Amino acid sequence: MTEAKPLIDMRDITVSFGVVRALRGVNFELHPGEVHALLGQNGAGKSTLIKVLSGVYQRDSGDVLIHGEQTQFKSAQDSRESGIAMVYQDLSLVPTMTVAANLFLGREPHGPLNLIRNRGLVSKAQAYLDEQGFPVKANASVDSLPFAYRQLTEIAKALMGEIKILVLDEPTSALSAGEEEILFEAVEEVTKRGVGVVYVTHRLHEVFRISDRVTVLRDGLNAGTFETADITMETLVQAIVGPGHEKMTQSTLSFEEGQRRSALLDASSEQVDVPPVIELRDVTNDRLNRVRLKVRPGEIFGLAGMVGSGRTEILETMFGLRRTVEGELLYQGEAVAWRSPAPAIRSGVALIPEDRHLQGLVLSDTISANVALPQLRGLTKFGMFARRESNRRAKSAVSELNVKAPGIVTKLEDLSGGNQQKVVFGKWLTPEPKLLLLDEPTVGVDVGARDEIYGIIRRFAQAGCAVVVISSDLVELEMLCDNIAVVHDGRIITTVHTSEIEGEEGLHQLVQESAR
Amino acid sequence: MSTTTPEAPATVGDSRVNPVKAMLKSDRPYTVFAALIVLVVFFSVLSPVFFSAANFANIGRQTTLVTIMAVGMTFVIISAEIDLSVASILKLSGVCAALFMQNFGENWVLGAVVGLAVGTFIGLINGLLTTRLGIPSFLVTLGMLGVAKGLAFVITDTAPVLIDNTAFFKVFYEGTILGLPIPIIWTAAVLTIGGVLLHFTTFGRKVYATGGNAVAARYSGINTSRVKIYCFMLSGLLAGVASLIFAAQAHAARPDFADGLELDVIAAVILGGTSLFGGRGTIIGTFIGSLIIGVLNNGLVIIGVSSSWQIAVKGLIIILAVAFSARKR
Repeated sequence: MTEAKPLIDMRDITVSFGVVRALRGVNFELHPGEVHALLGQNGAGKSTLIKVLSGVYQRDSGDVLIHGEQTQFKSAQDSRESGIAMVYQDLSLVPTMTVAANLFLGREPHGPLNLIRNRGLVSKAQAYLDEQGFPVKANASVDSLPFAYRQLTEIAKALMGEIKILVLDEPTSALSAGEEEILFEAVEEVTKRGVGVVYVTHRLHEVFRISDRVTVLRDGLNAGTFETADITMETLVQAIVGPGHEKMTQSTLSFEEGQRRSALLDASSEQVDVPPVIELRDVTNDRLNRVRLKVRPGEIFGLAGMVGSGRTEILETMFGLRRTVEGELLYQGEAVAWRSPAPAIRSGVALIPEDRHLQGLVLSDTISANVALPQLRGLTKFGMFARRESNRRAKSAVSELNVKAPGIVTKLEDLSGGNQQKVVFGKWLTPEPKLLLLDEPTVGVDVGARDEIYGIIRRFAQAGCAVVVISSDLVELEMLCDNIAVVHDGRIITTVHTSEIEGEEGLHQLVQESAR
Repeated sequence: MSTTTPEAPATVGDSRVNPVKAMLKSDRPYTVFAALIVLVVFFSVLSPVFFSAANFANIGRQTTLVTIMAVGMTFVIISAEIDLSVASILKLSGVCAALFMQNFGENWVLGAVVGLAVGTFIGLINGLLTTRLGIPSFLVTLGMLGVAKGLAFVITDTAPVLIDNTAFFKVFYEGTILGLPIPIIWTAAVLTIGGVLLHFTTFGRKVYATGGNAVAARYSGINTSRVKIYCFMLSGLLAGVASLIFAAQAHAARPDFADGLELDVIAAVILGGTSLFGGRGTIIGTFIGSLIIGVLNNGLVIIGVSSSWQIAVKGLIIILAVAFSARKR
């Protein structure tokens, strides 16, 4: 790393919101051509620091030097003019327009009579994309692009002009394992030209894949800056979580979890005839092709594969959201043909969907009202809503799942991502489900809450519930599951027992191979 | 609408929260209630006639139609739909009931049932078209506004249908119970039943969830289409109830009555704090919203504002109120 003038030099930054001190003297540095990862739990101060850099928040004290010069950004505009480009999680593209039209939105090249020259627009955009080394077609409509390429378009748009600093805020949170590579390659291209990248993420393996240095924030303070090459996953996790959380890595399983696994192994080795909770026999529909799988009580079954591989559709079929056209869906040994989630829920199936804001929660409603939703039938007495019983269930869910909220009448929109996700679990505590389906259960959840969620999933399994988990985080799958099926193109390519897999790389390889 | 996770540690519901701000942000209609008080004080100062028991009973009677229909509209709007056809349903239900009574003798009970059935049936059609064909309810009910109104003119040959049935008049308009005029009793009954249905039954929870997040509701096993259809049917039924009260008051059903009444109804609901985006709202809020509309209609006449100005002033106040409630979100 060159020790020349840093692109960013933030010193002793403090920011307060009322009585809450979000940043309490944070330092951060970025060199040209470097990828500097920024880590920390929700509330550690990552976003606040980024917002100071982008001019959204004003610092209370400290210095921000950009290219060695003192600055005081008053707005996002100021920050942009100093050569800082931000790419946020929420995409800012117009999906119905082409990549080229998006890149030049508001500054289209004009021809005679001040009319927009469309052909010139596309060729100009394509030249720019090629120069950046981004494999995106300029005349493609944005909504026809896979998510990763939309993200590249977003980054390409952000980089237009004299940009030397690129800030990526959780760019992979919506991407699958395969798609990440596309993004990483683009980031590498960008750094080759001397652009410095600030990379905010929750995913630790990405830090090792892409960054040169890592800065960890904790409770508004620096918890350490490391050369990525010199550290291990364990040191990083410890820095994020702080003292007193050594259990984090999940290397030691609880006694109950060990018991569950050995009981499951015994059952399979002794050929004990435990009937599966759910069995798919050559299930075929518009998205699935002869899917076969079995999940027994107490088993955690993983589905690996890329986004769009059909993983989610398998869960949707089990939940009554998709029909089975051919083949059979057996629930507790009986063939069923659910045409909506209601009968599935009554039979004891629970779904934690992929997008908790869109599919899991009513954000404008309270914890209590959300927890009651799937069980309204059981909460009806003489036509009236059994408010007391509903509140009792909400209270026990909040305490059992350790939801951090002032009370059960708190609205979901006022909770953090991890706590919102716990409420989604809370919807399915009473009565206990027999089959729990989870689609990306830890996306956008910070490390601490993530660990609690793993604990919750295991408790369901220990109680005899069959669990099916989808995750793009292969480490997570390997750690949680007993068996893992690799899905591609609506088919199950292979099913393996977790003990047969050699680490994350082994699983990664399986997924990569399946896609070929 | 994307929700950003707050970076600051959870201080929601903290005791340091300013109680006035909390009230302004609350879903409970404190601010509308304050606005109602201000209006009442304003008119009382300007006119001694306004602040009297007789005039308040007047306001109650005049507000009956709007309040009753606004209760149904509250369900529809909380489920994230809209019903623009309520005034036309009122016309059609009214003339159907009146024609029935004219042609099939003295049985006013059957006549009333016909009126209610017609209203409920049109609500059902609105609901089916909205949910099964996926046409936005704004368009379905805009079309229905024309269809129902046109039919009301067709079957009456554009003439008023006279009613001559003392019992009917008594039950729906002219009677009193414990000294209270019967329209006020009807209003109270509809408000109570509507309030219990929305706030204390499982169906009410489903309405909130359907409007707050239809996908999440569906993923929780709620048949959101059915919930919406029931809401439209309720709106139609209550427009039918209003039509009977209206007919009893006029001793006739007329296809040319009540034009534009849907705007007062929707305004009452929105003033009462129900979100046009669905998922939020209360019956008590709707009641206060209706009273504001009623007080405005009555007060402006009493202080002698010309009817042309009345329309403009009412519109202006509605815009201000909605702008205010939009700001607090």
